[in-house]
Amino acid sequence: MEAEALVTSLRNQLVDLLGQDTVVTEPHDHEPYCRDWHGDMTSAAVAVLRPRDTGEVAAAVRACRTLDLDIVAQGGNTGLVLGALPDRPERQVVLSLERMRHIRSIDEADFSAIVEAGCVLEELKLGLEERGLFFPLTLGAQGSCRIGGNVSTNAGGVNVLRYGMTRELVLGLEVVLADGSVWDGLSTLRKDNRGIDLKQLFIGAEGTLGIITAVAIKLSPLPERIETALLGVGDLHTAIALYRHARRACCDLVSAFEFMPPSAFTLAREAQPDLPLPIAIDYPAYVLIEISSSGLIDAKQLMEGLLEQAMEESLVLDGVIATSQAQARQLWAIREGMNEGQALRGPHLRTDVSVPLSRLAAFVAEIGAELDDALPQCLAVAYGHVGDGNVHLNVLPPAGATLAERHTLIEQAKKMINFRLDHYHGSFSAEHGIGRLKRDEFEHWISPVHRRLLEALKRAIDPEYRLNPGCQLPPITAR
Amino acid sequence: MKVLVAIKRVIDYNVKIRVKSDHSDVDLTNVKMAMNPFCEIAVEEAVRLKEKGVATEVVVVTIGPKAAQEQLRTALALGADRAIHVETDLRVESLGAARALAKIVEEQQPGLVILGKQAIDTDNNQTGQMLAALTGLPQGTFASEVAVEDGRLRVTREIDGGLETLELTLPAIVTTDLRLNEPRYAKLPDIMKAKKKPLEVRTPADLGVELASRIKLLKVEPPAERQAGIKVGSVDELIDKLKNEAKVIS
Repeated sequence: MEAEALVTSLRNQLVDLLGQDTVVTEPHDHEPYCRDWHGDMTSAAVAVLRPRDTGEVAAAVRACRTLDLDIVAQGGNTGLVLGALPDRPERQVVLSLERMRHIRSIDEADFSAIVEAGCVLEELKLGLEERGLFFPLTLGAQGSCRIGGNVSTNAGGVNVLRYGMTRELVLGLEVVLADGSVWDGLSTLRKDNRGIDLKQLFIGAEGTLGIITAVAIKLSPLPERIETALLGVGDLHTAIALYRHARRACCDLVSAFEFMPPSAFTLAREAQPDLPLPIAIDYPAYVLIEISSSGLIDAKQLMEGLLEQAMEESLVLDGVIATSQAQARQLWAIREGMNEGQALRGPHLRTDVSVPLSRLAAFVAEIGAELDDALPQCLAVAYGHVGDGNVHLNVLPPAGATLAERHTLIEQAKKMINFRLDHYHGSFSAEHGIGRLKRDEFEHWISPVHRRLLEALKRAIDPEYRLNPGCQLPPITAR
Repeated sequence: MKVLVAIKRVIDYNVKIRVKSDHSDVDLTNVKMAMNPFCEIAVEEAVRLKEKGVATEVVVVTIGPKAAQEQLRTALALGADRAIHVETDLRVESLGAARALAKIVEEQQPGLVILGKQAIDTDNNQTGQMLAALTGLPQGTFASEVAVEDGRLRVTREIDGGLETLELTLPAIVTTDLRLNEPRYAKLPDIMKAKKKPLEVRTPADLGVELASRIKLLKVEPPAERQAGIKVGSVDELIDKLKNEAKVIS
């Protein structure tokens, strides 16, 4: 009872300091901010703060300091590793950037824009497209995720192979620091070697070093022609050979290269029963490839020429090329439907691993055989952005398994995968980050020197450990 | 039986249409073009008739610029046997297209002609009907089902009150509605093969038809943009705005 009274008192003090409009006090209204995207985890917070501009973010940070509260910054809350989910309800607030959604400026000559952290990725992309500009970051959650979160997690997605991770799309940042001061690093310069590139510290830091309030982003010309094909291939090894060939043949205009097992069709149809099957579903593996171009380059000719060569060299067994955007969307619907199909099969192991592309096929074959051997009752699916050496290796327990059985199977599979991954010099988090979900794996993996560097950074920039404590590294009581 | 399918190259139906700044036309620069969706359905139906052994040859024809050969090649990849391209850079209106097609029908003597019910660029929905009038052939428009039985064509049509079934003598003209079939995807080996299938280029002059348009396009206007909504602070404010600004209540 005493704890509850304390929380209520903190809430009231936040209202006094920041105003009714900024503070969401009703615990009922906290629910969407205190639940993870999969709906597997729920939490609570002292309050949810919704500042409208950078000044209000700074004021919110100062208020939290005054009241000795910790801050979990949040964008669209679509993260997959619990990086934006509070874990100490009695002393943490969620600071949502959702109201900061202005586009401050767009410069067509510079191919850059300055946007606020709360801009929804898809809305931002569509707005830029109107002006013939392209922000390449493309991922499943783009209808909900926000640019601040994308930067804080260094999001990946399907276009990484051509345009890079979010880090490569950021020119500058505006960040509110733990003491409430504002660092204005909103440069749109492409070349600027004045000392250490500070913005890099905040990209992928998952809100542990500062709160990103605005981002200067790098834009590209909008691809006017996008060619999409779904191909049947012999195995992952051939798929990787095809990717190598495609990069050379198309002068790096391949904008997506996704690998799928035959079970993709079954899983996608479990989520969308009327999804058409454009290709025979008994090839050993499938590739979804996209080539995009603008101006004078004829992507269609490029795609047809590439695939003609690839068929002659037996890299491709069969395939369909979308003749309209509607058909292209249907092909992507298979890839996206896979995720929904897996979700419908209940709690399962989702991984996000990467290994050097040259060793990816060997890794997937080896761990696939090990999983089949040790856990024959589970379905292991490997799919993903193969062009980047990134595979989602998921393990689905059998339909009848109880929650406890699922948990055991998931832990067992995770151990096996991480063990094998280490041999291949891979990463257990290619694009999802560490958050709270992978903290233990991270701690186990980092070297003492690595850890010392991370802690030194944290101490220097957020000495009171106020920003997202418990994310990436275990919370340390510094005060 | 030979089946003739007429197709049209149009702006891809998923593309957001932009109007040129001088309002003279729709802006087609660097815009994704595709086969008109109703024409895709027409090609699919012809190919299915061939697969059933009803049709012996599928000939696909288009009237349009050189780039329209891209759509002819797509039709060939989907299963058409050969293509005829009536090349013109003019903006072709329905009657012009129907006249050119009537000449092709005269030359090719098909047992059945299938067209899309309308092209999504101008939404005229006239070419099939005009072609029937010019050739004097029976027509079954808005077909949702087509079957050849004992040398006659049975066409099920979607009409306001439900479904209507017609029996036509052959040769006949059919225009396709959306639910006739689900078009297939172009398969890679077939796309390769399509490059080697015959494609004959004709000119309006050698067909003896005049395609110059008698309709002048004066102006293209995009639809008015919807105004953004506003949030009101209270029920009283809402009632006030409904009364005094929107004037929908009194």
